[in-house]
Amino acid sequence: MRDRIRFTLLDLILLIILFSGAAYVLFKMKMELHYEWDWSAVASYIVRYDAAAESYVPGLLLAGLAVTFKLSVWSTLFASIIGLFMGLMKISKNVILKLTSSAYVGVVRNIPSIVFIFIFYFFISGQIADAFEFNYRSDSVSWYGTIFSFLFAPSSMLAVFISAVFTLALYEGAYMTEIVRAGIESVEKGQGEAADALGLSRYQKMRHIVLPQAFKRILPPMAGQIISVIKDSAIVSVISVQDLTFRGTELMASTYKTYEIWITITLMYFILTYGCSIAVGSVEKRMERKGYV
Amino acid sequence: MKRSVLIILSIILMFSGCAKKDSGNQLDEVKKRGVLRVGMSTFVPWAMNDKAGNLIGFEIDVATELAKDMGVKIEFVPTKWSGIIPALLTGKFDVIIGGMGITEERAKKVDFSDPYDFSGMSIVASRKKAPDFKDLASFNKSEILIAARLGTTAAEAAKKNFPNAQLKLFDDEAQAIQELLTDRVHAVVASSPLPEYQAIKYNSRFYLPVENTFENEPVGFAMKKGEESLKEYFNSWIKKKTGDGFLKERKNYWFKTRDWEKRVE
Repeated sequence: MRDRIRFTLLDLILLIILFSGAAYVLFKMKMELHYEWDWSAVASYIVRYDAAAESYVPGLLLAGLAVTFKLSVWSTLFASIIGLFMGLMKISKNVILKLTSSAYVGVVRNIPSIVFIFIFYFFISGQIADAFEFNYRSDSVSWYGTIFSFLFAPSSMLAVFISAVFTLALYEGAYMTEIVRAGIESVEKGQGEAADALGLSRYQKMRHIVLPQAFKRILPPMAGQIISVIKDSAIVSVISVQDLTFRGTELMASTYKTYEIWITITLMYFILTYGCSIAVGSVEKRMERKGYV
Repeated sequence: MKRSVLIILSIILMFSGCAKKDSGNQLDEVKKRGVLRVGMSTFVPWAMNDKAGNLIGFEIDVATELAKDMGVKIEFVPTKWSGIIPALLTGKFDVIIGGMGITEERAKKVDFSDPYDFSGMSIVASRKKAPDFKDLASFNKSEILIAARLGTTAAEAAKKNFPNAQLKLFDDEAQAIQELLTDRVHAVVASSPLPEYQAIKYNSRFYLPVENTFENEPVGFAMKKGEESLKEYFNSWIKKKTGDGFLKERKNYWFKTRDWEKRVE
């Protein structure tokens, strides 16, 4: 049963107030910024015609969006893995595992993200990248070089990219750990006891009884966290990963079109995050239909 | 229990095992790698993106020529100015060629080559907020707000020349100029010729309180400490390129003419 939505006088008044508020802000912006709006070049930052190649090629911002996208996908993947294992460790009966996980979450969550990224990037992740000798790979023309640069980043940017993925994954992983832990602990105790009574092993109990029930409770907060990863990925621009925000700030420094570029970037992030929200919403609906919830 | 101790131990070992192997000679390493990695940051007209997204500018020309003479390929690593020295120290690139002024403070962390360029500071002020200021001293008051780019010698010059004024620091010049456009600061200090360009561009709103630059500072390549052979190579290269007029000609193109402007906009 659903009430029909009716448009009343109050709604009209509210709408008028909202619109006049927005108009006032725009008017103030125009009067006080003394800003010369110039949108003419913005389209070429997204897609531009390359005369030499005689085709359309992605502009700086679209290339940045691709990096942000790849960064988000890999970070989310690794953060989920970290979150799952750390979450399981946190509810484990083994003291060392439990302490490791608590220490990890405690440290990461209590450091400002920008500080964490700087420290991790300069002191730790550089060594990881060096260990794999990412820094010294010459421009690869081999097939795996092509695949690598498609999946991650061109070899010249690979070290920075991998560092950024590591950093973001570790950072977001801490929050996912808590989500996983809360999800598992929210499963009623009786479920676990019933599994014990049936004589299931610890693994079987987790795999078949607890985790499937925890999963549907984890999904909504996890979706929020994934969208957070996309937004937080902007912060890696401080370590000069050429993501959307970094490209944008560099463009602003070159062209001084500050607001046009910020607005464009915002819209590009919005398309990515909102697309994600819709995708998660449909997954939830499907689960509901299939009777998981 | 024993297993988890083992796991933790092996993780620690993994990290310590990764500790950087010091190769000693970076010049040899660059030649062996065949690529010179140069750290830089966007500063008009030192380095910026042109319409096609390629890097252009004075520093870009200098670095490209340097790599050509070394017989290696060039790779630019665009880096935020505020983090550029730590990035050099942790080996993200071999050298900073980014209009970096040689200062005592920086020289404690990195080695500089001989200067290949000199750059002065200039100041651009708002006509409305700071009308008719005729000398630098009139900006040295506690109610005056001055914007500059974070971590630059412009910020230091502002601190030194206007100790009484309040400083507002931004990540790049575009933000500082925007602050001046909205009249939230009285003036912006930056390396010449940026303030001059802005005074021309926004002629009705900005003006130059003093015609000449101040704080003429030497600019050099910055590299990790103790890379003597790399430093020697750079110094002799700079001597040669000063001698044959390359540096002067390029400097003239980027700083005295505005022919390059149509490449950007």
